[in-house]
Amino acid sequence: MKEDKGWNPYVAGALSGLVSILSVWVAGKYLGVSTTFVRTTGMIEQLFGAERVAKMEYFIREVPKFDWQWLFVAGIFVGAFLAARTAGEFRLQAVPDMWRERFGASAWHRGAVAFVGGIVAMFGARLADG
Amino acid sequence: MTELLYGFVTGVLFGFFLQKGRVLRYDKQLGALRLVDFTIVKFMLSHVVVAMVGVYLLYDLGLVKLAVKPTILGGVVIGGLIFGLGWGLVGYCPGTAVASLGEGRLDAAWAILGMLVGAGLYAEAFPWLKTTVLTWGNYGKVTLPQALGVNHWAVIAAVAALTLLLFWQLERYEGARPALKLQKRTGQGIR
Repeated sequence: MKEDKGWNPYVAGALSGLVSILSVWVAGKYLGVSTTFVRTTGMIEQLFGAERVAKMEYFIREVPKFDWQWLFVAGIFVGAFLAARTAGEFRLQAVPDMWRERFGASAWHRGAVAFVGGIVAMFGARLADG
Repeated sequence: MTELLYGFVTGVLFGFFLQKGRVLRYDKQLGALRLVDFTIVKFMLSHVVVAMVGVYLLYDLGLVKLAVKPTILGGVVIGGLIFGLGWGLVGYCPGTAVASLGEGRLDAAWAILGMLVGAGLYAEAFPWLKTTVLTWGNYGKVTLPQALGVNHWAVIAAVAALTLLLFWQLERYEGARPALKLQKRTGQGIR
Protein backbone atom coordinates (compact mmCIF):
# COMPACT_ATOMS: atom_id res chain seq x y z
CA MET A 1 0.00 0.00 0.00
CA LYS A 2 1.31 3.39 -1.04
CA GLU A 3 2.27 5.79 1.75
CA ASP A 4 -0.19 8.65 2.08
CA LYS A 5 1.66 11.93 1.61
CA GLY A 6 -0.88 14.12 3.31
CA TRP A 7 0.28 16.81 5.71
CA ASN A 8 -0.06 16.62 9.44
CA PRO A 9 -3.73 17.63 10.02
CA TYR A 10 -2.81 19.90 12.94
CA VAL A 11 -0.40 21.85 10.71
CA ALA A 12 -2.73 22.00 7.70
CA GLY A 13 -5.62 23.03 9.97
CA ALA A 14 -3.55 25.74 11.65
CA LEU A 15 -2.40 27.07 8.25
CA SER A 16 -6.02 27.20 7.07
CA GLY A 17 -6.75 29.10 10.30
CA LEU A 18 -4.14 31.69 9.29
CA VAL A 19 -5.93 32.03 5.94
CA SER A 20 -9.09 32.71 7.93
CA ILE A 21 -7.40 35.45 9.96
CA LEU A 22 -5.84 37.09 6.89
CA SER A 23 -9.18 37.07 5.11
CA VAL A 24 -10.91 38.83 8.01
CA TRP A 25 -8.03 41.31 8.32
CA VAL A 26 -7.34 42.13 4.67
CA ALA A 27 -10.76 41.71 3.07
CA GLY A 28 -13.06 41.92 6.11
CA LYS A 29 -14.59 38.58 5.07
CA TYR A 30 -15.36 35.56 7.24
CA LEU A 31 -15.09 32.23 5.44
CA GLY A 32 -18.36 30.58 4.47
CA VAL A 33 -19.70 28.44 1.66
CA SER A 34 -23.41 27.62 1.88
CA THR A 35 -24.79 31.04 0.97
CA THR A 36 -23.15 30.56 -2.42
CA PHE A 37 -25.41 27.56 -3.02
CA VAL A 38 -28.43 29.79 -2.35
CA ARG A 39 -27.17 32.47 -4.73
CA THR A 40 -26.37 29.91 -7.44
CA THR A 41 -29.78 28.27 -7.17
CA GLY A 42 -31.30 31.74 -7.38
CA MET A 43 -29.31 32.43 -10.55
CA ILE A 44 -30.47 29.15 -12.09
CA GLU A 45 -34.10 29.82 -11.10
CA GLN A 46 -33.82 33.30 -12.65
CA LEU A 47 -33.32 31.61 -16.03
CA PHE A 48 -36.79 30.10 -15.73
CA GLY A 49 -38.66 32.86 -13.94
CA ALA A 50 -36.84 36.04 -13.00
CA GLU A 51 -40.02 37.72 -11.77
CA ARG A 52 -40.81 34.99 -9.29
CA VAL A 53 -37.24 35.02 -7.91
CA ALA A 54 -37.34 38.81 -7.54
CA LYS A 55 -40.39 38.45 -5.26
CA MET A 56 -39.02 35.65 -3.06
CA GLU A 57 -38.04 36.87 0.39
CA TYR A 58 -35.02 34.60 0.76
CA PHE A 59 -33.59 35.71 -2.58
CA ILE A 60 -34.11 39.32 -1.56
CA ARG A 61 -31.99 38.62 1.53
CA GLU A 62 -29.39 36.62 -0.39
CA VAL A 63 -29.31 38.28 -3.77
CA PRO A 64 -28.42 35.87 -6.62
CA LYS A 65 -25.14 37.35 -7.90
CA PHE A 66 -21.43 36.66 -8.06
CA ASP A 67 -19.86 38.03 -4.88
CA TRP A 68 -16.75 37.54 -2.70
CA GLN A 69 -18.00 34.19 -1.40
CA TRP A 70 -18.90 32.84 -4.84
CA LEU A 71 -15.30 33.40 -5.97
CA PHE A 72 -14.08 31.94 -2.66
CA VAL A 73 -15.97 28.71 -3.40
CA ALA A 74 -14.66 28.64 -6.98
CA GLY A 75 -11.18 29.12 -5.50
CA ILE A 76 -11.65 26.15 -3.16
CA PHE A 77 -12.31 23.96 -6.19
CA VAL A 78 -9.17 25.24 -7.95
CA GLY A 79 -7.01 25.04 -4.82
CA ALA A 80 -7.99 21.44 -4.10
CA PHE A 81 -7.43 20.55 -7.75
CA LEU A 82 -3.94 22.13 -7.74
CA ALA A 83 -2.98 20.44 -4.47
CA ALA A 84 -4.12 17.04 -5.78
CA ARG A 85 -2.75 17.45 -9.30
CA THR A 86 0.73 18.66 -8.29
CA ALA A 87 1.05 15.72 -5.87
CA GLY A 88 -0.16 13.20 -8.45
CA GLU A 89 -3.25 12.47 -6.37
CA PHE A 90 -5.94 13.64 -8.76
CA ARG A 91 -8.04 10.62 -9.62
CA LEU A 92 -11.50 10.32 -11.12
CA GLN A 93 -13.57 8.17 -8.83
CA ALA A 94 -17.36 7.80 -8.81
CA VAL A 95 -17.71 5.50 -5.79
CA PRO A 96 -15.66 6.15 -2.62
CA ASP A 97 -13.70 3.17 -1.19
CA MET A 98 -15.59 2.98 2.08
CA TRP A 99 -18.94 3.13 0.26
CA ARG A 100 -17.91 0.46 -2.26
CA GLU A 101 -16.83 -1.88 0.51
CA ARG A 102 -20.18 -1.58 2.28
CA PHE A 103 -22.79 -0.86 -0.41
CA GLY A 104 -21.24 -2.03 -3.69
CA ALA A 105 -19.79 -0.48 -6.83
CA SER A 106 -22.90 1.06 -8.40
CA ALA A 107 -22.17 4.70 -9.24
CA TRP A 108 -25.91 5.37 -9.66
CA HIS A 109 -26.73 4.02 -6.22
CA ARG A 110 -23.99 6.16 -4.66
CA GLY A 111 -25.00 9.18 -6.77
CA ALA A 112 -28.65 8.93 -5.74
CA VAL A 113 -27.82 8.82 -2.02
CA ALA A 114 -25.31 11.68 -2.41
CA PHE A 115 -28.00 13.72 -4.18
CA VAL A 116 -30.69 13.09 -1.55
CA GLY A 117 -28.19 13.57 1.27
CA GLY A 118 -27.10 16.84 -0.31
CA ILE A 119 -30.69 18.13 -0.34
CA VAL A 120 -31.21 17.23 3.32
CA ALA A 121 -27.79 18.53 4.48
CA MET A 122 -28.17 21.90 2.77
CA PHE A 123 -31.71 22.40 4.05
CA GLY A 124 -30.51 21.73 7.61
CA ALA A 125 -27.43 23.90 7.22
CA ARG A 126 -29.50 26.85 6.07
CA LEU A 127 -32.01 26.39 8.87
CA ALA A 128 -29.14 26.51 11.38
CA ASP A 129 -27.86 29.64 9.58
CA GLY A 130 -24.63 27.89 8.63
CA MET B 1 -13.37 43.60 -8.45
CA THR B 2 -10.58 43.55 -5.86
CA GLU B 3 -13.05 41.95 -3.49
CA LEU B 4 -13.76 39.14 -5.97
CA LEU B 5 -10.03 38.60 -6.45
CA TYR B 6 -9.52 38.38 -2.67
CA GLY B 7 -12.30 35.79 -2.55
CA PHE B 8 -10.69 33.69 -5.27
CA VAL B 9 -7.17 33.79 -3.78
CA THR B 10 -8.50 32.99 -0.30
CA GLY B 11 -10.43 30.07 -1.74
CA VAL B 12 -7.40 28.66 -3.58
CA LEU B 13 -5.32 28.73 -0.39
CA PHE B 14 -8.11 27.26 1.71
CA GLY B 15 -8.85 24.51 -0.82
CA PHE B 16 -5.14 23.72 -1.04
CA PHE B 17 -4.84 23.21 2.74
CA LEU B 18 -8.09 21.22 2.86
CA GLN B 19 -6.64 18.80 0.31
CA LYS B 20 -3.23 18.61 1.99
CA GLY B 21 -4.87 18.02 5.37
CA ARG B 22 -6.78 15.03 3.91
CA VAL B 23 -10.17 16.17 5.11
CA LEU B 24 -12.05 16.08 1.81
CA ARG B 25 -12.88 12.51 0.97
CA TYR B 26 -16.10 10.70 1.75
CA ASP B 27 -14.02 8.08 3.60
CA LYS B 28 -12.57 10.77 5.88
CA GLN B 29 -15.94 12.35 6.63
CA LEU B 30 -17.70 9.06 7.31
CA GLY B 31 -14.61 8.01 9.26
CA ALA B 32 -15.12 11.04 11.50
CA LEU B 33 -18.84 10.36 11.94
CA ARG B 34 -18.09 6.70 12.74
CA LEU B 35 -15.36 7.77 15.20
CA VAL B 36 -12.68 5.73 13.45
CA ASP B 37 -10.73 8.58 11.81
CA PHE B 38 -10.11 11.83 13.67
CA THR B 39 -8.28 13.73 10.90
CA ILE B 40 -11.18 16.14 10.41
CA VAL B 41 -11.53 16.75 14.14
CA LYS B 42 -7.83 17.62 14.37
CA PHE B 43 -7.88 19.83 11.28
CA MET B 44 -11.08 21.65 12.19
CA LEU B 45 -10.26 22.36 15.82
CA SER B 46 -6.72 23.47 14.91
CA HIS B 47 -8.29 25.93 12.50
CA VAL B 48 -10.77 27.14 15.11
CA VAL B 49 -8.18 27.71 17.84
CA VAL B 50 -5.73 29.56 15.57
CA ALA B 51 -8.44 31.68 13.95
CA MET B 52 -10.08 32.41 17.32
CA VAL B 53 -6.86 33.75 18.83
CA GLY B 54 -5.90 35.70 15.70
CA VAL B 55 -9.26 37.30 15.05
CA TYR B 56 -9.78 38.36 18.68
CA LEU B 57 -6.24 39.76 18.80
CA LEU B 58 -7.02 41.91 15.77
CA TYR B 59 -10.40 42.76 17.30
CA ASP B 60 -8.75 44.03 20.49
CA LEU B 61 -6.43 46.14 18.35
CA GLY B 62 -9.49 47.61 16.63
CA LEU B 63 -8.45 46.24 13.24
CA VAL B 64 -11.40 43.97 12.49
CA LYS B 65 -15.12 43.65 13.17
CA LEU B 66 -16.80 40.50 14.44
CA ALA B 67 -19.62 39.01 12.36
CA VAL B 68 -21.93 37.48 14.95
CA LYS B 69 -24.94 35.52 13.79
CA PRO B 70 -28.12 35.48 15.86
CA THR B 71 -28.51 32.49 18.18
CA ILE B 72 -31.90 30.94 17.41
CA LEU B 73 -32.19 27.63 19.22
CA GLY B 74 -35.09 26.39 17.03
CA GLY B 75 -33.03 26.85 13.90
CA VAL B 76 -29.71 25.65 15.32
CA VAL B 77 -31.04 22.52 17.04
CA ILE B 78 -33.50 21.36 14.37
CA GLY B 79 -31.27 22.52 11.52
CA GLY B 80 -28.29 20.80 13.11
CA LEU B 81 -30.17 17.51 13.40
CA ILE B 82 -31.35 17.69 9.79
CA PHE B 83 -27.84 18.62 8.62
CA GLY B 84 -26.35 15.67 10.48
CA LEU B 85 -28.81 13.27 8.89
CA GLY B 86 -27.96 14.59 5.44
CA TRP B 87 -24.20 14.67 6.15
CA GLY B 88 -24.23 11.00 7.07
CA LEU B 89 -25.86 10.19 3.72
CA VAL B 90 -23.93 12.50 1.44
CA GLY B 91 -20.55 12.33 3.20
CA TYR B 92 -19.60 15.88 2.21
CA CYS B 93 -20.35 19.29 3.62
CA PRO B 94 -20.87 22.11 1.11
CA GLY B 95 -17.22 23.27 1.05
CA THR B 96 -15.70 19.80 0.95
CA ALA B 97 -18.12 18.70 -1.79
CA VAL B 98 -16.73 21.44 -4.04
CA ALA B 99 -13.13 20.63 -3.08
CA SER B 100 -13.64 16.87 -3.47
CA LEU B 101 -14.89 17.41 -6.99
CA GLY B 102 -11.62 19.29 -7.54
CA GLU B 103 -9.80 16.13 -6.40
CA GLY B 104 -11.74 14.11 -8.98
CA ARG B 105 -14.45 12.56 -6.75
CA LEU B 106 -17.37 12.44 -9.17
CA ASP B 107 -20.01 11.54 -6.57
CA ALA B 108 -19.40 15.03 -5.16
CA ALA B 109 -21.08 16.41 -8.29
CA TRP B 110 -24.30 14.66 -7.24
CA ALA B 111 -23.82 16.05 -3.76
CA ILE B 112 -23.47 19.59 -5.13
CA LEU B 113 -26.58 19.20 -7.31
CA GLY B 114 -28.51 17.98 -4.28
CA MET B 115 -27.26 20.91 -2.21
CA LEU B 116 -28.41 23.36 -4.87
CA VAL B 117 -31.87 21.75 -4.79
CA GLY B 118 -31.82 21.84 -0.97
CA ALA B 119 -31.00 25.56 -1.04
CA GLY B 120 -33.92 26.11 -3.43
CA LEU B 121 -36.31 24.16 -1.20
CA TYR B 122 -35.15 26.18 1.80
CA ALA B 123 -35.86 29.41 -0.09
CA GLU B 124 -39.41 28.11 -0.73
CA ALA B 125 -39.91 27.16 2.91
CA PHE B 126 -38.32 30.30 4.36
CA PRO B 127 -41.48 32.48 4.69
CA TRP B 128 -43.09 29.74 6.79
CA LEU B 129 -39.95 28.88 8.80
CA LYS B 130 -39.43 32.55 9.60
CA THR B 131 -42.73 32.73 11.48
CA THR B 132 -42.34 29.36 13.21
CA VAL B 133 -39.05 27.52 13.84
CA LEU B 134 -36.92 30.65 13.50
CA THR B 135 -38.82 32.39 16.30
CA TRP B 136 -38.21 29.62 18.85
CA GLY B 137 -35.55 30.54 21.39
CA ASN B 138 -34.18 33.63 19.69
CA TYR B 139 -31.40 35.12 21.82
CA GLY B 140 -30.24 37.63 19.21
CA LYS B 141 -26.63 38.32 18.28
CA VAL B 142 -24.82 37.20 21.37
CA THR B 143 -21.33 35.75 21.80
CA LEU B 144 -20.30 33.13 24.34
CA PRO B 145 -18.24 35.63 26.43
CA GLN B 146 -21.24 38.00 26.49
CA ALA B 147 -23.64 35.24 27.51
CA LEU B 148 -21.28 34.14 30.29
CA GLY B 149 -20.44 37.71 31.27
CA VAL B 150 -16.68 37.12 31.15
CA ASN B 151 -13.73 38.52 29.21
CA HIS B 152 -13.37 36.88 25.79
CA TRP B 153 -9.81 35.74 26.58
CA ALA B 154 -11.17 33.57 29.40
CA VAL B 155 -13.36 31.71 26.91
CA ILE B 156 -10.53 31.53 24.36
CA ALA B 157 -8.14 30.10 26.96
CA ALA B 158 -10.73 27.53 28.07
CA VAL B 159 -11.54 26.43 24.52
CA ALA B 160 -7.84 26.22 23.62
CA ALA B 161 -7.06 24.20 26.75
CA LEU B 162 -9.96 21.78 26.16
CA THR B 163 -8.92 21.38 22.54
CA LEU B 164 -5.32 20.56 23.47
CA LEU B 165 -6.58 18.09 26.06
CA LEU B 166 -8.73 16.43 23.40
CA PHE B 167 -5.79 16.28 20.95
CA TRP B 168 -3.63 14.67 23.60
CA GLN B 169 -6.30 12.07 24.34
CA LEU B 170 -6.88 11.40 20.64
CA GLU B 171 -3.17 10.73 20.07
CA ARG B 172 -3.13 8.38 23.04
CA TYR B 173 -6.27 6.62 21.83
CA GLU B 174 -4.88 6.17 18.31
CA GLY B 175 -1.52 5.06 19.67
CA ALA B 176 -3.26 2.26 21.54
CA ARG B 177 -5.05 1.04 18.40
CA PRO B 178 -2.83 -0.39 15.68
CA ALA B 179 -5.69 -0.46 13.13
CA LEU B 180 -6.14 3.29 13.42
CA LYS B 181 -2.40 3.84 13.12
CA LEU B 182 -2.25 1.72 10.00
CA GLN B 183 -5.08 3.72 8.54
CA LYS B 184 -3.24 6.94 9.31
CA ARG B 185 -0.10 5.70 7.61
CA THR B 186 -1.67 4.34 4.46
CA GLY B 187 -4.68 6.60 4.15
CA GLN B 188 -6.83 3.51 3.77
CA GLY B 189 -10.27 3.62 5.32
CA ILE B 190 -11.33 1.19 8.00
CA ARG B 191 -14.17 -0.88 6.64
